[in-house]
Amino acid sequence: MNAKRALVALTAASSIALAASAAAQLGTPTSSPPPPGVTQGEGAAFPKGDYAALDALPDWGGIWFVMRGDPAMGPSPQPELKGEYAQRREAWRAEVSANDGVERRDRSNCSPPGLPRIMQLAQYPYEFLFTPGRVTVNQEAWMQTRTIWTDGREHPPLDELDPTFHGHSIGHWDGDTLVADTIGISDELEVGEGGSHSDQFHLVERIRLVDEDTLENRMTMTDPLAFEEPFEVTVRYRRDRYGALIEFQCSENDRNPVNEDGETQYL
Amino acid sequence: MHNSTKTVLSALLLAQAAAASFTLTAPAAAHHSYSMFDMNKTVMLEATVTRFKWQNPHAFIQAEVPVNGEAENWSIEMTSPNNLIQEGWKRTSLRTGDKVRIWVHPLRSGAKGGSYVGVRLADGSTLGEVS
Repeated sequence: MNAKRALVALTAASSIALAASAAAQLGTPTSSPPPPGVTQGEGAAFPKGDYAALDALPDWGGIWFVMRGDPAMGPSPQPELKGEYAQRREAWRAEVSANDGVERRDRSNCSPPGLPRIMQLAQYPYEFLFTPGRVTVNQEAWMQTRTIWTDGREHPPLDELDPTFHGHSIGHWDGDTLVADTIGISDELEVGEGGSHSDQFHLVERIRLVDEDTLENRMTMTDPLAFEEPFEVTVRYRRDRYGALIEFQCSENDRNPVNEDGETQYL
Repeated sequence: MHNSTKTVLSALLLAQAAAASFTLTAPAAAHHSYSMFDMNKTVMLEATVTRFKWQNPHAFIQAEVPVNGEAENWSIEMTSPNNLIQEGWKRTSLRTGDKVRIWVHPLRSGAKGGSYVGVRLADGSTLGEVS
């Protein structure tokens, strides 16, 4: 067999193999295993029959804006850091002071802040969607979507979680309060101003209506490696019933690129 | 024309004592830090709108400001469209060619840009904080 005929034969064989594997997949559901804590056939993946029960949940309709200048939030609180985390923040503060108050960034301004900061943004509203087994938080900011699983699943072991901007959130309803528990937030993200945390960072949020149109999020953060004590921040949001989230495509309107020295530019 | 422009410009760098004290960075509120702006200073621009961009993460006003017969091109950053809606703005509030007065916190670098404070529209109505 000459080289050309061999190549034709090889191409034909691989085409057949591809076609066969595609036929096996077409229309066939794949079957990821249920997450830890959820029995096969139950959980958020099997919503039918559980929609009516959602009507018992509190009314969080509309969109929600962080209340700027809310006295309940007080002056921007900062976590008590320890050890190398405290030293790193001191170094950050010194550098910002030396740089005329301007913070250097090591990533694009089109990169979202992740938790917990993304729940504290004054410029971009939120909406909370209830479906069986989960609460979905749509954030106008960076068009981020966050899932809080309420179907009884557990956190996977930390070493099996990919560190991410939102980590892994599980929640339950304590009366009319949504209690969300989050681990797995990337340790490359900030907490407070210039603060950082370890991969042991743990966030608990208690979210509830405190009056007809005010939602309160009491955030409690702990980190055995980075924090001296639990760090608490309370954020309140005001409602706009018929407001709607607006599209956020940062790369289409990125007027604040970061240069190679970490300086934010202004176009 | 030149005289009135000069008057505007001489008033340009009038500083306004702002209530906000200097902190290391702006609150964790925005898409980027506001430390690039001099939030203690407000300047007024007599401007012609060349472009109004209504899009996240920030709406923007591009405006031409005549200075000694030459046009300076200013780039004025606003908050998010959704916050602006709460303050009475619409995508059509400004149109190319509109002659307006715009108040801004200027860039500390001295470049022709600033953070939006308020505007007096061609019809005399105002949005935001105007002096």
